[in-house]
Amino acid sequence: MNIIKGLMTKDLLQLRSYRKSLIIFIIIYFLVAISQSSINGISTMLVIMLTLGLGMFSMATFNYDEVSKTDKYILTLPLTRKEVVLSKYIFCICSTLIGCIIGMVLSFIITFIFTKSIPNIFEIISIGIGAIFGISIIETIQIPCIYKWGAEKGRLNMFILVIIVSSILGGISYINFDIIQVSNLLSLIEKILPIILLIAIFFINFISYKVSYKIYSKKEL
Amino acid sequence: MENVIEISNLYKKYNNFELKNINLNVPKGMIMGLIGENGAGKTTTIKAILNVINSYSGEIKVFGKDSKIYEREIKEDIGVVLDDSFLSECLNPCDINKIMEKVYKNWDEKLYFKYIEDFKLPKNKISKEYSSGMKMKLKIATALSHSPKLLILDEPTAGLDPIARNEILDIFQDFIQDEEHSILVSSHITSDLEHIADYITFINNGEIILTKTRDELLEKYGIVKCTKEDFEKIDKKDYIKYRKHKYEYDILVENKEEFKRKYDIQIIDKPSIEDIMVMYVKGGK
Repeated sequence: MNIIKGLMTKDLLQLRSYRKSLIIFIIIYFLVAISQSSINGISTMLVIMLTLGLGMFSMATFNYDEVSKTDKYILTLPLTRKEVVLSKYIFCICSTLIGCIIGMVLSFIITFIFTKSIPNIFEIISIGIGAIFGISIIETIQIPCIYKWGAEKGRLNMFILVIIVSSILGGISYINFDIIQVSNLLSLIEKILPIILLIAIFFINFISYKVSYKIYSKKEL
Repeated sequence: MENVIEISNLYKKYNNFELKNINLNVPKGMIMGLIGENGAGKTTTIKAILNVINSYSGEIKVFGKDSKIYEREIKEDIGVVLDDSFLSECLNPCDINKIMEKVYKNWDEKLYFKYIEDFKLPKNKISKEYSSGMKMKLKIATALSHSPKLLILDEPTAGLDPIARNEILDIFQDFIQDEEHSILVSSHITSDLEHIADYITFINNGEIILTKTRDELLEKYGIVKCTKEDFEKIDKKDYIKYRKHKYEYDILVENKEEFKRKYDIQIIDKPSIEDIMVMYVKGGK
């Protein structure tokens, strides 16, 4: 576990040079969020954007490793390839969680200040879990791509992925749903949806980790 | 003599390169220099020892233990310096200490900062702002601070000016003063190895051409200078390689004294390791 902590310390210290960008990013996202017309909109945007933003920031550690060819050096240290891959996943999940928690706290405070009432915590947590699920889908596809093709090509794959997902979502919106049936279904699973998403987050991360480890264990540096 | 590294029949195939059944022993307490032109297989051999590449055949033992089975245990006692790979350049020596103290069980913070001070490296400056020599010293300080028994160095002096190169060679000389310590160093700057190596192994095109003590190479080998007529009188068995120049022939012989006794040719130069390497690669038979 100490070695995983060492690798995560490396990633965290590497990201330190992004401090200014991170502060600017939080301010911009904050401004985008408060430009929403309703308090609900503001709080939702804050949680989603901070979760996605910090999740994406953590992916920059792959770029640092690639530029310095750190992977080769790392493998000369007393650690296993499994620990290298696991540390990346834990780091990305932790960053996403931190973004989500900051977003939820800010969302709670803003809602409380403007509405003078205790916000619906269940709703804020549900939005947070939804946001973590969203970034998890991107990360769990991108990380194996990076291990396979490197950070540069991995990023390209990321854009391709975003285009495909947006196209699918755009396509779905043109399909004639029975709106009543869909809303009935959603209201049925509304209470358990966050739990379903939590299980899904764990599951896709686990599958992605297994795929990444398989790729990395065979990788020749 | 006890060996710290024992490589038997190491074979690795790439699309356009093959490491062909490498057999190599690094004796304890010695500096083994690995020479060869770029792409000869030096780095691939080092990568195999460190399991950075893993799909190879053959057996590698370090400190008498299988390098794959006891990988973590072995690496606790190895310090590694790679020419082209290290931690990110946006880290400073203090950051590296924070990382390495979690990675190595035997990490010695005091020793690390003593090296940083001795090498005159600014503690709070990121390594991106260091000169090439300073960057290499930072890598060496990091490699030495968990008190390793074996140093594995891949091109540690490449791209450095003569002063920095000398300083770095002195560090290795200090390290080897302890008879429990050993070094495997690859370099294509053969003059550096002439200064420090006890043994030289020459790799060419994925094959080991020779492994000899430095003194054997420098004292016994010779380069005979002769005319075409003299060259034609020499038995092929008595030389290793030859090179034809405009007016003379250069002939690499394994034992210059024996050669002198057999043939009436007196001009035999003492070769440098570079001369021997060039003759092997460029010469004919």
